[in-house]
This record gives sequence, structure tokens and C-alpha cells, in this order.
Amino acid sequence: MSIQYKSIKNLTSMLQNKEISYKELINETFTLIESKMDLNAFITLNKDMAIEKATLLDSKKNDSLLAGIPIAQKDLFCTKDLRTTCGSNMLSSFIPPYSATVISNLENAGCISVGKTNMDEFAMGSSNETSFYGNVENPWGKNLVPGGSSGGSASAVSSGIVPAATGTDTGGSIRQPASLCGITGLKPTYGRISRWGMIAFASSLDQAGPMARTAEDCAILLNEMCSHDNKDTTSLNEHIPDFTKDIDQPIKGMKIGIVKEFDLSQLDNEVVKVFEESKKHYESLGAEFIEISLPNISLSVPTYYVVAPAECSSNLSRFDGVKFGKRCDDPKNLEDLYIRTRSEGFGDEVKRRILIGSYVLSAGFYDAYYKKAQQVRRLIKNDFDEAFLKVDVLMSPTTRGPAFEAGSKGSDPIQMYLEDLFTIPANLAGLPALSIPNGFVDNKPIGLQLIGNFLEENKLLKFAHNFQKTTDFHLKTPSGENI
Amino acid sequence: MDKKTVTTIAYLSRIALDEGNEDKITADLENIIKFVDQLDNANVDGIEPLTNPLEKKAQTREDKVTAENRKDTFLDRAPKSNEDYFLVPRVVE
Repeated sequence: MSIQYKSIKNLTSMLQNKEISYKELINETFTLIESKMDLNAFITLNKDMAIEKATLLDSKKNDSLLAGIPIAQKDLFCTKDLRTTCGSNMLSSFIPPYSATVISNLENAGCISVGKTNMDEFAMGSSNETSFYGNVENPWGKNLVPGGSSGGSASAVSSGIVPAATGTDTGGSIRQPASLCGITGLKPTYGRISRWGMIAFASSLDQAGPMARTAEDCAILLNEMCSHDNKDTTSLNEHIPDFTKDIDQPIKGMKIGIVKEFDLSQLDNEVVKVFEESKKHYESLGAEFIEISLPNISLSVPTYYVVAPAECSSNLSRFDGVKFGKRCDDPKNLEDLYIRTRSEGFGDEVKRRILIGSYVLSAGFYDAYYKKAQQVRRLIKNDFDEAFLKVDVLMSPTTRGPAFEAGSKGSDPIQMYLEDLFTIPANLAGLPALSIPNGFVDNKPIGLQLIGNFLEENKLLKFAHNFQKTTDFHLKTPSGENI
Repeated sequence: MDKKTVTTIAYLSRIALDEGNEDKITADLENIIKFVDQLDNANVDGIEPLTNPLEKKAQTREDKVTAENRKDTFLDRAPKSNEDYFLVPRVVE
């Protein structure tokens, strides 16, 4: 029986009913990976360790829902003794001596890490075109980008190689590729999942999350990914609910906000049509719609492009060729070592963001840019606080359109930055948000974004699961068959 | 933003710009800065900066050793090291 496109729930029941052994499942997964190498979704595979763990699982009784479930890990998470590149030449031979907390959490729950997925370099990009290891293909069409930065994870799930993958989301890096690849992706509340062992890009925005075929699978993964972690000072010490518990509850009478300032008239008609259909669908499920004003939201992208580069320039100063990672050949002196290591190790987009960050943090400009962006960030957060007094969730398209062709955004970085127009606000405010497939434009999938209030992932998952119980967009596959 | 400013911030960032590509980099950075200049439209009088969405004080923990000494592992994985130190080019003549 083929395991391609199977959800976690399907695979768990196949394993528990002994229709397939743990080892067979992992072997099948690697057969799929090897048959789809042209996607370039993986940077490093973990075959021997994965088979060893599966063999061990076959020899004992397992009750965990996630026991033996193959999972692809974004190459931004440190994995003990397994190469972790973050999509960069800088870390092309970096073997971490420890695993990220979230990786340990998933592996302790029984998940088997089958490999590390391709990504935009240091998570800076929205198309996976900035990876040192080459572009990733979107399984929905030749030369289409999978989105980014978690492009390899999205491609691996979308092509049915694995039922689940980890991603990280600093400005949309889980939701945007989920939208472009037709899968479900959740960015939890900032602080829900430990950042320890995640290679930092912008520390006040970065958040890990699950990518899977269904909202239900995301809930199963989230249950294991969340933990309070003393090693991350911003890790939340809040009750972690069972995210699968209320997922089946109806949403009748609940309120969805539509953001007035998200100007949909700028979007392609077909994209708007798909969005309007989803509104009608939620109406048929009993939800009520309210127009909401978030007056400062139009400043989200400019705010982000001050805050994120500022934090990036600080975080990436650790890559100096001394303690780990790449070092240039034959440095003349210490300064030459720093400059050549960084110039050879980083790609163009990463350099651009470091330079912007150094500029906005420099003495003469700090107040005009960095401080001001942080003040606007508070205004944006205040707008959301106000909105959630009136609605349960906010709804918008995840992206401005479906997947585009590699190279089609030209050389103007701002065109790419605007890809994340709808996703960035949730990161600035630290709010949970997810993307679910809600239709097709030109035979390419597109996603619907739901943003929730602080710590209300369970509500988002309930909205998403209700949608998926009554639609089949998430069941369509790039190879044509419905699952 | 001009070439001189870009050269200065590149040096502060310890990054060498590709020769021949400096004009393109300067133009890109200038466009990005122009783009973020939209922030000037916001009235932020009296607004406290938001540095982190949680607005909680960093949590501290007791200062006690929890990790084992893994000096050898870390030194082994460094680009250049001896049995005790990370090695860099000579700094003091």
C-alpha cells in the first residue's frame, strides 16, 4: 500500500493495525524521497539513523500517536550530529553538538527525522531562491517556486513524501509556502515553542511551527512541539492545552473579522473569488462576519523591514569564522578572517539585510528608524488588541496570488518583500496564525489565512478543521488524484 | 544613502562588497530605505517602543552548572583549534 500523501492520522492507524511496520514505513519514505530528488526539497538526509530508530520501534510496543511518523526538519533547527546548514554556505559543514528543544520534543514523542529541508538562506526570502543549495521546485508545476523560507518543508509535504515537517515563521515563512504548495501550516503564538537550537534570524519575531496535510495533524504535532523551556528566556510559561480536544466543536455564532485595510482590489480577480467563496462557506457553517479596521496595518511591511534586519545584523554577527562554521582560507590577519569569511559565507540577500540592519541601528539613524519602527509595532499590536475585543479570528488571503515562476520577481527586492503583506502583521504582534488550502487559481493552490488572539491556537485549529471537514481543497494532490 | 555610506556600513558589518556591484547594492539599499521611510507617516508621539510581543522581563535562572563539560566536542568542530583553544591569526606582534 502506498504511503504517499497519507496524513499522520492515516499512518498511525496503519502502524497500529500492523498494515505496515515502522521499518517498512521509513524505507518507503526514502524510496519516495529518492524518486523526487528533482524537487531539491532536502539538503541532508538522515537515512541510517532513521532506519535504526524504526527498527528499534518494531521491537517494542508503542502507544504514542507520533511513534514512527516520518518528519522532515527545516535545516534551520540544530540536529545533534546531523549537518545543519540554514541554507547557507557559511554552515555548509556545521555539525551541531546538540538538538533544538523542538526537535528533541518531536523525537521524544516518537517522530523519526528523515532529513533536513532546503530553505532560503538564514530564512531570508519568500521563494526559496536565496538558498545556497539551489532552488526548490513546487510539486504543483515545473519551475514554480514553493514559497519561502520553509520551501523545502512545504514541497516535501505537498508532494506526499512525508506527512509532516517543521518550519519557522518570522514574517510568513510557514504560511506563505503552505499557501503556495496547498498544505496547512501554523505559526503559533510567539513564545509557545522554544527557540533554543533554532538558528536565530530576528529573535523577537521567529517562531517554529508545524506544516502538514491537515489542521488536525498540525494540532497533533503542536501538542508535542510546545513546551516551557528554561533555555529560552522568551519561552512562555503558560498552560499548554490539548490542541486536538475542541477541534471538532462547531463554530456557529463565532465571529470572523475582515480587515478593511487589506485592499483586495489590488489582487487578481480569481484570487478574490476564491476568498469570497471561503467567506460564503464559513457563513454556511454559521460564522458571522464583521468588518474590522486596523488603521496602522499598512505600515507592517516597512516596520518589519527595519525590525527584522536590525535583529538579523546583530544575530548574524556571531558568524565570524572562529568557533564554528566556515572560515576563509589563509587569512592575513584577524580582520581579514572576519571580512572574507563573512563575504564568502553569506549570499546577496543576507548581506543586504545585514547592511540595512547596521544602517538602521547606527548612531545617527537609530531613533529615526529602529525606535520609530518599534513604536509603530506597538500601534499595530494595539490595533489587534482592539480587534479581538470584537471578533474571534481575523481572515484574509494568505498570499497575494498563487505560486509564481522562479526568477519572475526580477531583481527589485521590494517586490519580493511585498509577498508577505498579509502574513507579517501577525509576527509583529506575536499572534498565532495559520494557512489552509482554500482553492485554486490557474490550477495552482492558494491559501486562506486565519489570525487568532494571543494563545488561541485551539480556536484557529477549530476554524480550520471545520473548514477541512466540509471542503476537499486539502485533499487534492499535485499528481491529480484526490486522497 | 550613497556609496560612501554603504562602504561605511559594510565595514561596520565586516562585509566586503563585490567590486563592480557596488552601484546595484547602493541602489537597492536606497530603495529599501525609501520604502521604510513610509514610517514617517505614523504619529508615534508618546508611544512606547515595543521590543518584544511578550513584554515580559527576561526570565533568569539560578546560576548553576547544568551542562556537562564538552570542551573537546566544541573544539573538534571549530574551523581551527588546538587541545585548549580556538585559534585565530596572531593579534599581538
